[in-house]
Amino acid sequence: MSSHREAPEISTDPVADSTDLYAFVSPDCPGTVTLIANYIPLEGPAGGPNFYAFGDEVLYEIHVDNDADAEPDLTFQFRFKTELADPDTFLYNTGPITSLNSPNWNRRQTYRVTQVKNGKSTVLADGLSCPPCNIGPLSTPNYASLAQAAVHQLSGNIKVFAGQRAEGFYVDLGSIFDLANLRPFQNLHNQFGMNVFSHPAPGVNATAQLNVHSIAIQVPIGDLLWGSPHGKVTDQGSVIGVWTTASRQRAHVWDTHKHKNVWSGPFHQVSRLANPLVNEVLIPLGQKDFWNTQPPRNDKVFASHYAQPELAGLLPVLYPGVFPNLAKLVAAKTARADLEAILLTGIPTGVVPGFQNFTGGVQADMLRLNTAIPASHSPNILGLIGGDPAGFPNGRRVFDDVVTVELRAIAGVTVPLVDKTFTPDAAAGLITDGLTPSSVPSGYLSTFPYLGVPYGGFETPSS
Amino acid sequence: MPPEIHADQSQPPASLSRRSLLRGAAGVGAVSVAAAAGAGTIFAAAGSANAATDAHADAVTDTAAHPAGDEPLVVYLRDAATGEFEVFHGTRQVRVRDRKLAVQLLNQVR
Repeated sequence: MSSHREAPEISTDPVADSTDLYAFVSPDCPGTVTLIANYIPLEGPAGGPNFYAFGDEVLYEIHVDNDADAEPDLTFQFRFKTELADPDTFLYNTGPITSLNSPNWNRRQTYRVTQVKNGKSTVLADGLSCPPCNIGPLSTPNYASLAQAAVHQLSGNIKVFAGQRAEGFYVDLGSIFDLANLRPFQNLHNQFGMNVFSHPAPGVNATAQLNVHSIAIQVPIGDLLWGSPHGKVTDQGSVIGVWTTASRQRAHVWDTHKHKNVWSGPFHQVSRLANPLVNEVLIPLGQKDFWNTQPPRNDKVFASHYAQPELAGLLPVLYPGVFPNLAKLVAAKTARADLEAILLTGIPTGVVPGFQNFTGGVQADMLRLNTAIPASHSPNILGLIGGDPAGFPNGRRVFDDVVTVELRAIAGVTVPLVDKTFTPDAAAGLITDGLTPSSVPSGYLSTFPYLGVPYGGFETPSS
Repeated sequence: MPPEIHADQSQPPASLSRRSLLRGAAGVGAVSVAAAAGAGTIFAAAGSANAATDAHADAVTDTAAHPAGDEPLVVYLRDAATGEFEVFHGTRQVRVRDRKLAVQLLNQVR
């Protein structure tokens, strides 16, 4: 998955487990950038009576670097508080929830947004309501409008939303984790000699009926950039690097008198996410939780995993004869400068005509967005490799097909960016898990917070 | 020998001593002590009747520096051999080195 349950330790702590990060110039609100950090992977919509919520003890942050040093220049912090109106009922709600102040809503959550800029913390808002989870037609009628009421307009033309959304990341988990047996190419897989599949098959979206919890903030571009010249695509000052982290206090004890966990000590980072699938696919199991605890500026220590991705070596083995040129590249132990540029430094000027999202020589896993590139009127879900510079890896939009983009990049389709003599295998330009945004039943919204209305517990799974 | 407070910790408590650690351990409901001895071995001393009793006896003799607030104080013995403790309170952390206290606490839970 993008970053769902990607590391052993964080997989046991879902509320602190970041799943996806998005950063894009808002298509309906030019002059702003939308940042979305998703947490809590694979939420079953019917998961009551304790429906999913953010962790009250977790410090959620979205960081922005705007001067190419992989240090946060601007951070938005989100802290949540759960309130239980009536502890004497087992019910999440005692009647229909028709508004965010409904007395029928028993267990609700509010949050505080703090901006940290140049070391100075400013509370932007407090006591903001999250929407309830989407329970069903009797409990949460008119859910879409109920949730939309939880889009809060703050001063300074900032919008925020924090709450449940439909999972917008589409991926065929079943095939990928069954030894990378991509269904559209399963007949070409070596199948370990078992000859189970003789024909290709369409992909299956494993997240099609699952929800997630989103923290979304829309900010004027000018608030994210300052100092360096910016406004033109060629200006390095137009590029921001974004990542999200979740932190917990270091000490954790079960209090037998309060019947709950108590936490103490300084906050310590336990989860981070920028580019999709990096910790999932590139970082080895023994280092994943360590990777989660590190700031991007330290990513040089992981650079070998970007330069020599394990999956690039596996593809020619799992699909015999399909990736001969990739096999030669791997055998030659050629460092993948293309992947290092895309994921660790950004793409410099002169590599892709009219495009750059370079942030300098500091190797750091950040989602880099050139804010001078406007939103596309006719987006291509393959982003930059599909000829659409407004999409991944120039930031990431909610509908971008990052699985296919990264599969193709690892298979060698982006090597010619740094080595014109390399000819990618024909399959490298075709490989996919077979999904598109149409694989997401909820669809997406055209306005903030862009991710679709969450699946309801009553309706999902449908009979 | 006074406990050693590491220089890399900002704002150490004014009076971190064996006495104050034990006084903290005596708090009811809001205090836990976790101790680790040897690789992979972790055992909790919270709720140890003897430890609580002795610590309380120590506490009542000195009320000058009572732990502030109602937040939990958590003490983690990260290296029994050297007596290196990490003490957590609120959002702060200090390191204390006191081998004698480590031995004393470990004896309480054995």
